[in-house]
Amino acid sequence: MNSFVEITNEFTQSVEQSTELNFQSFLFENDFKAVLPELFLVLASLFLLLYGVVWTTSASTGYPLLLRNVNWLALLTFVLTAIIATNNPIGHGVFFYHTFLLDDVTFFFKMLVVIGALSSLLISMDYLERESINGFEFALLLLLSTSSMLFLISAADFISMYLAIELQSLCFYVLAAFKRDSEFSTEAGLKYFLLGVFSSGLLLFGCSLIYGFTGAIEFSELSKIFASLATSGEVYSDKLDLNPLSVYGQEENISSLLSTSSWRGCELGMIFLIIGFLFKLTAVPFHMWAPDVYEGAPTAVTAFFSITPKPALLVVFVRLLYQSFYDFMIEWQTFIIFCSVASMFLGSFAGLAQHRIKRLLAYSSIGHVGYLLISLCCGTLEGLQGLAIYLVIYIVVTINIFAVIMTPLRRTSHSAQQHQGVERIKYTTDLAMLAKGNPLLAATLTVAVFSLAGIPPLAGFYGKAFLFWAALSSSQYLLALVGILTSAISCFYYIRVVKIMYFEAPQNWLSFSRMSKESSLVLALTTFFIVALMAYPYPLYVASHKVALALSM
Amino acid sequence: MVEYLAIFIYFLIATGLAMILLGVSFIAASRKPDPEKISAYECGFDPFDDARSRFDVQFYLVAILFIIFDLEVTFLFPWALVLNRVGLFGFWSMMAFLLILTIGFVYEWRKGALDWS
Repeated sequence: MNSFVEITNEFTQSVEQSTELNFQSFLFENDFKAVLPELFLVLASLFLLLYGVVWTTSASTGYPLLLRNVNWLALLTFVLTAIIATNNPIGHGVFFYHTFLLDDVTFFFKMLVVIGALSSLLISMDYLERESINGFEFALLLLLSTSSMLFLISAADFISMYLAIELQSLCFYVLAAFKRDSEFSTEAGLKYFLLGVFSSGLLLFGCSLIYGFTGAIEFSELSKIFASLATSGEVYSDKLDLNPLSVYGQEENISSLLSTSSWRGCELGMIFLIIGFLFKLTAVPFHMWAPDVYEGAPTAVTAFFSITPKPALLVVFVRLLYQSFYDFMIEWQTFIIFCSVASMFLGSFAGLAQHRIKRLLAYSSIGHVGYLLISLCCGTLEGLQGLAIYLVIYIVVTINIFAVIMTPLRRTSHSAQQHQGVERIKYTTDLAMLAKGNPLLAATLTVAVFSLAGIPPLAGFYGKAFLFWAALSSSQYLLALVGILTSAISCFYYIRVVKIMYFEAPQNWLSFSRMSKESSLVLALTTFFIVALMAYPYPLYVASHKVALALSM
Repeated sequence: MVEYLAIFIYFLIATGLAMILLGVSFIAASRKPDPEKISAYECGFDPFDDARSRFDVQFYLVAILFIIFDLEVTFLFPWALVLNRVGLFGFWSMMAFLLILTIGFVYEWRKGALDWS
């Protein structure tokens, strides 16, 4: 009898052990498949780091620069990452103890980020060589920040979100100060670093407030907590009745997870979180770093800054607002409406006074962030769909414009007809008579700029129209009105660029030198997209609808 | 927490003892400063030029590297304590972390951040 008990005990123990072992060995089995694109990107960049540093410091090969080589390998890595992401068998789910999620949204935005990073590297390769920004680390920082953006897109809780944002920002600080012998670049790096760190601090404080008041860091948990509170009716009774006793009277039959003071605390945390995000997105009251950083950083870096991070940040922002904080909508909506209106106004009015082209583009991007924020205020499916459509179009147009701006030009002094070396475009007047020197390039830039302004047959008009339609259909008349007004105002400076290209005689004659093959390819593709989107918008429409559906769930 | 009380008292006593040692020499020793005595010591010569000099970036690099590897050690401490609990998975996770750091270290090495020539 005794031995029988021992045997059964042993048997159960061995079963427990084996199940434990099985559990351990199968833990995360599928999770690593889910992060395969990110894993590949990180491993490839580590490999490239070793490869680059070993070869560039080897005396036997004569210290090769490897700039072009590593850039092409980085491009290959981006392409392979995109291929892996498309062929990943796991498309939906939550992984790694609720830190990482995959759905239709993540796939769409990841492809957007990878393609944006790829094309921004493609258009800046020639520029990097010409400016002799010789560090092969440039491409590696691009790879690492892209991988962090991919992690950011699928972040499912505050910790993974914050860590991804920090990895991305850290790469960006280094990139902004990448040209060490340029004062402007150093200043841009420092400014970006200080303000970026400040905004990250705000973000983190918001996260810790919310964690402190709710005890949850996962986005889905937060949504459950806030929803349970909102349906219990406590908050609304608190708002409607000024008499606190009535709240206390109700409290007995309400099984709510949060008290009213915690609700206030969560609101405060949410405001800090939103401010942190708006800092990163350069929305207006928090935009002051953007023009200086865009102006000071090397143009290749500016292109990367303005093309790639916006989708990654926006998708997490939308996920937070629409999933975790949907029950706070009345609070954050007013805040974001204010920021959106202010961004649109500042983007259009401050852009009028700019003559430096990168500054102009910085203000223009601030204005476009304002338009993007319109879609967040709607709270409807159409709004989110408009966000996705507008983001895609905006990124394509930005790639196009930066491909043109990074084209080298030769300045010829007016008196002595001699070349004064190859320069880069600084002022809008540098584009003068581009239409005579290189009519095709002028036409391309005209198309891109008109698309930013929202002139009818081009893609930008489609995006803006969709946004304003979404705003109108959710009764955001003020936003639609301001959006239309400011886009009419900003037409002025967009059209001025076109006027300079076609009708203005320059003081010093400039000629654009030959564009690199990669840039011209990207330019042709993006221009084709801008022009031809009107003819066949269905794929984008369907994909963005899918994104909006998945985001609003 | 209570075991820190002894350390706190030890800290107080150490501070007090240092104050006493300083104070005794302050009271007992003779002090007659003159310009020669309080001037900067530069091997007997007057100082040749400005005391400001170019800062060597190597010191900065060493400080940064110290911070990075110090952080690595703070991550290693809890891992080392619970290694029998976290099993092979925990072991290999830390190995992945160390691999990434090692790649960073190789980068520094090849870049010459550790050369003091």
